[in-house]
Amino acid sequence: MGSDKPKMNREELILQVIIFSLGFFYAFVYYVRVTEPVDLQAVSDQLFAYLTAMLTAAFAIGVINLTRVHVNNVKRKRPVWKFSVVLLACLYGMAVVSMISSPFAIDPQAIVIPQTLMGAVDPIWEFLYYKVLVSINATIFSLLAFFIASAAYRALKVRTLESTLFLIAGVLVILGQAPITNLVWPGFITIRDWIMQYPNTAGQRGILIGAALAILAFSVRRMFRYPWGR
Amino acid sequence: MSKSSIRSDPRLIYLLLGLVITVPILTHAVLPVPVSDTTRAVYDFIQKLPANSLVILSFDYSTSTVPELHPQAIVVTQHLFTRPLKILFVAQWTDGPALTDAVLDAVDKENKTYGADYATLGYIPNTATLIGMTTDIRQYFPVDTRGNPTQSLPIIEEFPAAKAASLLITFATGEPGLSAYLQYWNARFNIPVVVGATAIAAPGYLPYLNSGQVVGVLISIRAAAEYEVLINRLGLSGAIPAMVAQSSSHILIVLMVIFGNVAYFVRKQRSPEVSQ
Repeated sequence: MGSDKPKMNREELILQVIIFSLGFFYAFVYYVRVTEPVDLQAVSDQLFAYLTAMLTAAFAIGVINLTRVHVNNVKRKRPVWKFSVVLLACLYGMAVVSMISSPFAIDPQAIVIPQTLMGAVDPIWEFLYYKVLVSINATIFSLLAFFIASAAYRALKVRTLESTLFLIAGVLVILGQAPITNLVWPGFITIRDWIMQYPNTAGQRGILIGAALAILAFSVRRMFRYPWGR
Repeated sequence: MSKSSIRSDPRLIYLLLGLVITVPILTHAVLPVPVSDTTRAVYDFIQKLPANSLVILSFDYSTSTVPELHPQAIVVTQHLFTRPLKILFVAQWTDGPALTDAVLDAVDKENKTYGADYATLGYIPNTATLIGMTTDIRQYFPVDTRGNPTQSLPIIEEFPAAKAASLLITFATGEPGLSAYLQYWNARFNIPVVVGATAIAAPGYLPYLNSGQVVGVLISIRAAAEYEVLINRLGLSGAIPAMVAQSSSHILIVLMVIFGNVAYFVRKQRSPEVSQ
């Protein structure tokens, strides 16, 4: 309702004009191909390039903020200050080692950084990355299997029609995914593929289309600043 | 341990699961692995690519999903190296370039030359680069991960734009991953896309397979084991021994579900007000 519309100040108005213009521009370029006199697709791609600078700045702010918080933890000897020391050592230690010798090295052809230093640092980086980081992260992710096993035991019960269907489908997919059951009866893999490709796909499509429509609705609302003033 | 204590204390389940996973791995037990249609579709597509086609591999996963996706990356890369194809390696995740190097160390490069037959371009920091490289790789990747100017690489001279690719394979855990390639590479340039997925992410990718937007989906470490069978390189990625552990753990979970339901019905008969 027009009477409820709060008045925008100048900064808000400028921001709203930018949001509307870019939103409209990208929607227009997506649906309409304009190559003369200006290739709008190329302009759109170039505008995306400016995201690089913004995202890099955001990343830098994140590192600065993390450092400030944890340096303060150490300075004030807060209860978790020892963990902060570990975090800062890992953050900057790994960054320095990676910059000297890794696929992210700042001087991979050893023009400035001496070859001997790179050679000395390389095994350290390989150990830290492949032996420490990969192992730790893979271990954490693998814990999921234990939670799934426990959850399956607790949750998959013949209580209602829906939960029974869920249980049957889940068990059949699990059996189809295990090679040993395929050797016992090849039909398990056929049933697994059918469940994954039809009922699963139908459900996933519903979620995808629902999410896409929600994003569209949110984008239009944001472009037109509706409900007014929010 | 009583049934009620199992419900409140899952340590017995954890212990059993730990045993059925570690024992087969430590004993190096192996099992024949039937090949599924989804994996065979990827193999067949690569086999049918004309000589000198450009294939781009995107490492869009982090270290946490290495056990599932790394074996896939190894076997698919090995298959590509056995064919007369040109290969570019990129990554939408920061871990990608390091994992690319690990894969290249693990495969037999079959006399392929770096720079002429394959090259590692490294990290794609954002959508702008992903879009931009479709028309000009050199502008967005002035150097490769080894510090060589990309304009000096014969493979880039032959294929200066990624839109010339005949296949894009993404090993994806989540976002950024498949969707960017579908939107900006497949929709705009009709570049066929294959996705290598973790078991947990695969159901979300299957609608794109049915719609024809992706030509194949590799599902979990099992796809790597199946692919080892297809390219006849058993033991290359370590996926085959993992299949026994996967089978035994899945069987255990099914048995736990059956046991849980029996216990539920027994409790329900003893006291009808039991709801869970």
